Amino acid sequence: MATRAERIGRRRPTAVSSWVDRHIGWLLVSPAVLIVVALTIFPLGFSLWLAFVQYDFTLGPEHPWVGLDNFVENWKDPVWRASLWRTVWFSVTMVAIELVLGMLLALAMLRPFRARRVLMTLFVIPLFISPVVVGGFFDLFVRRPYGVANQLASWVWPGTVTVDFTNDSPWLYLVLIMADVWQWTPFMFVILLAGLSAIPDTLYEAADLDGAKPRQSFFFVTLPLLVPIILIAVTFRLIDAAKLFDIIFSLTRGGPGTDTYTTSYYLYQQGFEFFHLGQGTAGAWMFLIMLSFVSFWLVRRLLKPVEENSL
Amino acid sequence: MSDEVHHDPDVPQEDYMSGLRMARRDFLVKSGLVAAAAAAAPGWLQTEQAAAAIKASTSAGAARDSIASSAVAAAKQFEGFAMGRINEAGPQALDDKNFSGPLWEKLTGIETKLTEAPFAQIRTKIIAENLAKSGALDSVEVSPAWIPDFADQGVIIPIDSLIRKNKAQATVADLHPLYRALARYKGKTWGFFDDGDVWALYYRKDIFSNAKLKAAYKAKFKRDLRVPRGWDEFNQVAQFITDQMAPKVYGTGMGRALGNPGNQFYFFQQFRANGGRFFNPQTMKAEISNAIAVRTMKQILLQNEASPPGVEKLDFVSGWGLWLQGKTAMIMAWPPTGRISENISQRDKAFSFLPKSQIVGKVGYARVPGQNGEHAGAFIKCVMATSENKEAAYLFNQWATSPSVSLQRVMLPYTLRDPYRISHYRAPSYKKLWKGADQYLVTLAEAANDAVLDLSMSGAGDYANALDRSMTSMYAGKDVKDALDEAAREWDSITNKLGVAKQRASYAIFLKYPGATSKNTVRKLGQAVKV
Repeated sequence: MATRAERIGRRRPTAVSSWVDRHIGWLLVSPAVLIVVALTIFPLGFSLWLAFVQYDFTLGPEHPWVGLDNFVENWKDPVWRASLWRTVWFSVTMVAIELVLGMLLALAMLRPFRARRVLMTLFVIPLFISPVVVGGFFDLFVRRPYGVANQLASWVWPGTVTVDFTNDSPWLYLVLIMADVWQWTPFMFVILLAGLSAIPDTLYEAADLDGAKPRQSFFFVTLPLLVPIILIAVTFRLIDAAKLFDIIFSLTRGGPGTDTYTTSYYLYQQGFEFFHLGQGTAGAWMFLIMLSFVSFWLVRRLLKPVEENSL
Repeated sequence: MSDEVHHDPDVPQEDYMSGLRMARRDFLVKSGLVAAAAAAAPGWLQTEQAAAAIKASTSAGAARDSIASSAVAAAKQFEGFAMGRINEAGPQALDDKNFSGPLWEKLTGIETKLTEAPFAQIRTKIIAENLAKSGALDSVEVSPAWIPDFADQGVIIPIDSLIRKNKAQATVADLHPLYRALARYKGKTWGFFDDGDVWALYYRKDIFSNAKLKAAYKAKFKRDLRVPRGWDEFNQVAQFITDQMAPKVYGTGMGRALGNPGNQFYFFQQFRANGGRFFNPQTMKAEISNAIAVRTMKQILLQNEASPPGVEKLDFVSGWGLWLQGKTAMIMAWPPTGRISENISQRDKAFSFLPKSQIVGKVGYARVPGQNGEHAGAFIKCVMATSENKEAAYLFNQWATSPSVSLQRVMLPYTLRDPYRISHYRAPSYKKLWKGADQYLVTLAEAANDAVLDLSMSGAGDYANALDRSMTSMYAGKDVKDALDEAAREWDSITNKLGVAKQRASYAIFLKYPGATSKNTVRKLGQAVKV
């Protein structure tokens, strides 16, 4: 009597099983492909279509082809242009401050000392807080008449301080930058600390033997070796900072007027508050392309040493 | 002048607030009674109101409300249906959760599935549902300003045939004339009006009757201190009170934060009371940067100067907080102000976000200065075009807004639903809610007689937002004329985008509503309601 395995081995392959055998690779990856198509490729394609048609709740249910009109509409809007410029200087300022502060903190935390672990734990807590909550927290901190910011400022500044930190320029910008810096400096700190820890002590010993002072060691040993790590941190943060939305949403709602509109906030309003979906999507594509150029340039800088080494 | 009143070392400031002092025994007895009533109130008030609504919906006797009972009888065929509703998050939604929803299910077997959203997001969620067509929403709360867009784009359905089928025509006759037309658009009825959101002036009677303050005012301005009747007078009185009593009490202090409640409301009412109009009806060029607009904005900016510091970022609920703590002498606000001032709503734990009122019995009611108070926001109960059971949704709306059931709903302590029917203003049960409730109801009816409407036309949301943003930039110091010019340009750009001819037609429809301008208010049309 034949065993079960023998029976199976002798059975003639059917058309279905042959087809399955031939396409088994595709069948195994198809669930993942379907999910990617449904959740990424289709929305991307749909949004591209949206950018070229009239898709505006107030203009009716028809969606005629409008070519580049949605893109031109954004470009003509002074609020869009101002928000773009604001996004650039917000991002650069925030990331620059975070980089400097993160570096100082990382240097301070590099060598072991008492309470180092506790301090490091405390430093990274802001990273785990939702940006909306950070915005709300700063709002409570600075908002008149309840916030304590004016009271604290009055202790160190002569006279009574009566600044409206979320309404008066330039203070409102300062508060927004402070909120972002408070939350994201720990990110820089953690990445830079990892980079600093990876630099071998032998290099510092060699520099020491050559008579280098601490300042010289930093500029001629630490910094050059840290450049790739800095570039990674700056790339991640710049891309993230360019999408600044949550803190604006909870702290100023883009106001007063449109003075604190970032591009993300502008696009959110166009798309999800006014349902000018065509214009909003076109704006999002424009922003994506601009951001891609910056990212591309940064990534090329990042990969340059790797490519040079591999030659 | 200031020293005479506020800084007199022999006279504590509290003495200027008349009527505060009472014997210790009186205080203890009254406090005990108030505490006992407050503890008992939520239970009996809800039960009584629920019982009245059930009686009106089911009984055969005199208490029967034919609009409510016919809706219930017809809806029983849909037993087991789960109806999707959307309502404003927080207190408004508690009506669905605690009262309308459970009662409707008890009466008809139709379950309510509630979605909550902040006011502005109700609009976006309804639009999103219209695009998605998931059938998640059946009965929706729609602000009158959104009706033209929603009707034109097929988001909601006209209900005239359903009204005829269910013989509910009489439900409209009892509405205040201001509200009667609001659910009508292009000759059709798009829902049942359900929230009388007219603004009134709430003021502190004890401050206005303070002898020393009155004398000081007369000495300074050579006329009697009175509740202001015009905008310049309002500013003068508000600033005077601030000068005399701040930081303990400020003349006024209303929410000015961007989008909360929406600064356009302040501009809309005051601009039209000053004689302004939004557009040239022929060319559709925006007229919100002319001399009247500049004057209006300057008046509004003066109000800020008489307000507590930080008023530019004050949200509406925080403005209520200041008022309830006795820190402001006058505010223009929605009708719940009258109820919360008497601690009617704070009996319910849902209102724990507001402090207990420190000004019980001290609040007077009047029409806003200039007489034309804004009918700001409000709700109409509509049926979604994407609903899978439009008739069930319609019947719920008919039942909830029927005279008897709606009366119980506008008396609920935990919601923000406000009187809007003539029968509400005259209801003996409402008048008994607190001492002075009768005057409150009279004022609301009178305010509706003179009220002006939100701009309700295609693109209304975009126009409102542009103005709101522009006003906050003026609060931050931007030149008034420049900012208004910018807002007017933005309005023109919105008009051009939507089409001048289409907008002209839409604006012409708006101008026909009673209260579209200060020249065609309900009173001026000869339809004023006397309570």
